[in-house]
Amino acid sequence: MKPLALLLAVVFFVLGILYGLGTINLFTKSGTEHAHHITHLVLCWILALLALIWYRFQSSTETGRR
Amino acid sequence: MGGSFRSRGVPECSVTFLQALILALLQGVSELFPISSLGHTILVPALLHWTNVDRSSPTFLAFVVVLHLGTALALIVYYRARWWSIARALVASVVRGRLSQDRDERVGWLLVVGTIPVGILGVIFEQPVRALFGSPAPAAFFLAINGLVMFGGEALKRRRPGNLPIEHLTFAQSVLVGIAQSFALLPGISRSGASMVAGLLCDLDHEDAAEFSFLLATPVIFAAALLETRYLIAPGAHVVLAQAIVGGIVAAIAAYLSVAFLMRYFKSNDLRPFGWYCLIVGAVCFILSKRGLLS
Repeated sequence: MKPLALLLAVVFFVLGILYGLGTINLFTKSGTEHAHHITHLVLCWILALLALIWYRFQSSTETGRR
Repeated sequence: MGGSFRSRGVPECSVTFLQALILALLQGVSELFPISSLGHTILVPALLHWTNVDRSSPTFLAFVVVLHLGTALALIVYYRARWWSIARALVASVVRGRLSQDRDERVGWLLVVGTIPVGILGVIFEQPVRALFGSPAPAAFFLAINGLVMFGGEALKRRRPGNLPIEHLTFAQSVLVGIAQSFALLPGISRSGASMVAGLLCDLDHEDAAEFSFLLATPVIFAAALLETRYLIAPGAHVVLAQAIVGGIVAAIAAYLSVAFLMRYFKSNDLRPFGWYCLIVGAVCFILSKRGLLS
């Protein structure tokens, strides 16, 4: 699960940047228009942070098993 | 009602003090009572023919942001001791890097997990859903449905009574409660009503279901308001500043009293009275809207 958690964190972090820059407009009100989607950026970064916390819990579990 | 304000140069989309007070009271009460605040903020202006209230204008949105901040603040103040222990337990578990058996920590992670669905679904679907259903007829229809959902929830609860404490919920159940809360994107469906019914079906009793619902609603209301604070600095937002400040205070007081009342109420009562209210008001408003009597 550790690689998945890390992958999710990276994906959400990058997605957040792309939304912030207006490069992607998926699931936004403006549709295909170029816009800075701050709400989407914030959501993606919160999800990235949660994925990192999940990664931390996984790491600790594996250390404990050893 | 808005004539004197308009003559002083206030834009027509602005809200008057009386409207601000009524809307603030309505927001503070209906956000926590399981009767849909969004549905009421659509239906009441339509019933009272408040043609100057434009729900999509930046000034009105700025006003609404302050009402939400007031409501969230009231919830945080009411549960301040609980939130403090939950926040400390969450930070401790992240630092430690593993979950423990601590009650507050467990509730904290349940809240985090339960908030994820409403965060994702809210960001994706809020605008299209408001655009599709943000008028009186759908709001009235969904308000009646909200009533039926509460009756259904109570009927199912009576079949399998249970009174698990909140911390005994599983993460999957917390996600389900979060998904149920997301149905409140539909005007007329109550956030607290939907999440309470889901909590009841996960074997919580009424008091714990209400508490979990209010705790779950707090970050959502607060985050939604914070993310919309741009409306407060938008050009023209200053015209509703006074109304927004008064409205925010009234909404906060109303919300605090509402949550205090509801936590007492749900010690020994259920959702059915709210179900009757939603069913009757929803049905009446739906008929009125179909007859063109709601504007």
